[in-house]
Amino acid sequence: MTINKTALALSVGAALLAGSVQAQENKLYLFNWTEYMDPEIIEAFEEKYDVDVVQNYFNSLPEMFAKLNAGGVSQYDIIVPSNYYVPRLIQTGLVQKLDKSKLANLDNVMAQFQDPAYDPGAEYSAPYQWGTTGIVYNTETFPDAPKSWSLLFDPEVNPDHPFALMGDGQVSMGGACAYLGHGYDCTDMNAWKEAARLLIDTKGRDTFSGFSDGTPALQQLARGVTHVGLSYNGDYLFFKDEDPETFETLDFMIPDEGAEMWVDAMLIPSEAPNPDMAHKFIDFILDAEVGAQLSNYNYYASPNAAAEPYLDAVLTEPPVQPSEADMERLRFTPSLEGDALQTFQQLWSEVQSR
Amino acid sequence: MAYTGVTPSARSRGMVREARHLLFTVAPGATWIVIFLVLPSAYLMAVAFMSNGPYGLPEMPLSLESFRRLAGFGFLGWSPGNLYTLLRSLWQTLVSTGLVVIVAYPIAYYISTCRAKWRPIMLLLVVVPSWTNQVIRTFGWMNLLAPGTPLSNLAEGLGFIAPNMGLYPSNFAVTLGLVYNFLPFMVLPLYAAFEKLDTAQVEAAQDLFASPVRAFWHAVFPQTLPGLLAGIVLVAIPAFGMYVIPELLGGGKGMMLGNLVANQFAGGANWPLGAAGAILMLIATFIGLFAMRRIGKRLGGGEEVVI
Amino acid sequence: MRKRTLKRGLTGFWWFTLAFLYLPLAVVVLFSFNASNSAATFTGISLRWYGRLMGNEEILSAFSNSMILAITSSVIALGIGCLIGYGMYRHRHRKLGWLIVLIYLPIVLPDIVFGISEMAFFVQVHRLTGLLQPGLVTMIIAHVTFQIPFVALIVYSRFVGLDPTLFEAAKDLYATPIKRVVHFMLPTIKPALISAFFLSFTLSVDDFVISFFTAGPESATLPIYIWGAIKKGVSPEINAIATLMIGAVAIAAIISLVFSRRRQA
Repeated sequence: MTINKTALALSVGAALLAGSVQAQENKLYLFNWTEYMDPEIIEAFEEKYDVDVVQNYFNSLPEMFAKLNAGGVSQYDIIVPSNYYVPRLIQTGLVQKLDKSKLANLDNVMAQFQDPAYDPGAEYSAPYQWGTTGIVYNTETFPDAPKSWSLLFDPEVNPDHPFALMGDGQVSMGGACAYLGHGYDCTDMNAWKEAARLLIDTKGRDTFSGFSDGTPALQQLARGVTHVGLSYNGDYLFFKDEDPETFETLDFMIPDEGAEMWVDAMLIPSEAPNPDMAHKFIDFILDAEVGAQLSNYNYYASPNAAAEPYLDAVLTEPPVQPSEADMERLRFTPSLEGDALQTFQQLWSEVQSR
Repeated sequence: MAYTGVTPSARSRGMVREARHLLFTVAPGATWIVIFLVLPSAYLMAVAFMSNGPYGLPEMPLSLESFRRLAGFGFLGWSPGNLYTLLRSLWQTLVSTGLVVIVAYPIAYYISTCRAKWRPIMLLLVVVPSWTNQVIRTFGWMNLLAPGTPLSNLAEGLGFIAPNMGLYPSNFAVTLGLVYNFLPFMVLPLYAAFEKLDTAQVEAAQDLFASPVRAFWHAVFPQTLPGLLAGIVLVAIPAFGMYVIPELLGGGKGMMLGNLVANQFAGGANWPLGAAGAILMLIATFIGLFAMRRIGKRLGGGEEVVI
Repeated sequence: MRKRTLKRGLTGFWWFTLAFLYLPLAVVVLFSFNASNSAATFTGISLRWYGRLMGNEEILSAFSNSMILAITSSVIALGIGCLIGYGMYRHRHRKLGWLIVLIYLPIVLPDIVFGISEMAFFVQVHRLTGLLQPGLVTMIIAHVTFQIPFVALIVYSRFVGLDPTLFEAAKDLYATPIKRVVHFMLPTIKPALISAFFLSFTLSVDDFVISFFTAGPESATLPIYIWGAIKKGVSPEINAIATLMIGAVAIAAIISLVFSRRRQA
């Protein structure tokens, strides 16, 4: 009797153990921005490779970086950071080189993304989407809003309506730099100091409602908590499509002083549990039709040249494809390292704590 | 001779058994706490004395840099940001604890004067909101204080806040959130003290002193002091290290020490600096506990203060 | 006369405080039924936000994680804490100052320090040994650590409240220590065990900060999910989940009230 029970317990235990091991093998852990993936693509991938995709989300790049350092490096198979975080991920050894022999669809990528400045030779990363960060504002509150950062930084342009800045310090700092005439991608110490002072003054205004990440900023605007904020072109269109009534009175604008253009890329953490499946996933996204489906869902521009024939019309016009004049004013957020990064962190923490 | 010869060995055998018993009952828990709390805290303290790597992770060699940073010295010279954060934490703790005492005192007294059969229900009513998660409670206040809500409109009408703004996010919202969160922690120990109140003494004091204030001060207050001190410990220590409430209700203006520390880990900024902040918090905690014990002992509330 | 005004004033203050305590929760419940996505205006009753919860796998898994975490950690803490509580009682005449310090440590340590210590430690252990990857296991360990002291103190105070001669009687009655534990000790401290379990459970469900710092990709609990949702800015759904949790707490409150009534009677 006891032996039977023991045997039973053992076999159940073994089955559970085997089950959990098997489950491990058949899973893909995706760590992505919020609202950035078409659920149907996930379903299609799960079906094709008989795998269970577990999705986790982040709202900002610092958050993503911190999670990787706190053990995530061995728990996620794919991460989707923006261009300026790629070099520091490579330098800290948090990501692994891609095995290009497993990525048959790599040729679909547009020429300008084949050898990006943030990852020379594209050895670690494959592009996911690209877009811009601009100002979203309430057109009823600001019927003649200037195409300028002054909507956020000049108390005379916006004397009495709540506004939010971006939670990612580099974007808010860049905006302040652009407003001050130093360009969005400034890295000069004096320009930064001036920008930090502007941000501290701006924070001190009664109508400053807080720092907000890109996607939540839109929700605040929609609910009337703020009247101006910073967000991304694709997210703006995505939520506009979901709730056209509310977004009727909200508009997206790229300030004339310059703003951010970014590329989000797929990378594989260095200790990813399932790198094989991760390569399959990247290749799946780089497929022409899947790439188009992703952009059609997200309202972001596709870095996939082969996807072009399948793209919706809205993706070929502003704000998804910025006008040529705007395009010239867009800059990548500088990728910081060493002393520059330390200086920036100190200035930003000063802004946050004042 | 034989008798005394046996006893010591029997006694020592008994002592060995007792010691083994002690070991058997206490060791599992003690080991658990040592491995999973003492060691981690010790490791965190060690991190505070390491250098900050280029991307925020601790590195060798040992250094005091993170304490200098905490005090506000960076490559840019001294800046007051961290000091503001510290002062803000102290101020919020002080104000919210004070307000909690002011609210909890009459409530605890009132419950103790009600009929015995109602008291458990009344206590339960005070405690139940704290059974919901603190994130949910704080979220409730976000809803209540957002722009356009009746409370915000009222405050706007009275001229307390700028038009179009809500009561949240603000430092005021943080204070309110703290008071809300910690009120039950003060009511319970105070109620326990009021329940044990010696009414004869109070009545004698009422006869002795003409003014009710003096009667309260001489008869009631000393008797409720142990409960008050326990409440202060239970409120002030967690309030000082609060993370969730300033993060959700402060909106970037109300950063407290807990947020400074958490940001160094959750925002990927600087682990050693965060660890140094944690040490500061620990020191404050132990100073607080020690001071309460001393005050409690001096004023004759011989009871254990914590809980 | 003055006494009556005082009493009346206190009664008023009592109701005011209750309103203060329940208003935020009431607003959450009310707006979970709001037809529109607005925090300020109530436009009509609708169940659309509850509809969105249905079949949301993330919420279901967050709920089951919360339950697994709370129950497992409470059971483990009950076992370990019970032993300590008894040990403290049996050996209360010895100098156990170090033990008291150890037991109070998890109680007085600020949540945030607790959470980041565990996180930094688990990361380091994982780097060195490959064990303790962030996830449900690390969360259970962390929760047990803060639950042990409460269980120990409750059990200890129950023992202290007992008549010491009972132990002598039990010694005469039951020959072996095991029988003593089963037939005497466990039945006598049963009320303490029940309340210790409930307290542990509540502490676990109430915790956010420590869970947040020790969680892994698949172990998000309901509070972590709600935190993420607040940070993401989608609000009406949060109202609906929060309302369900408030409902659960209300039921627990009623149950505990009935229990305490019965004990009094």
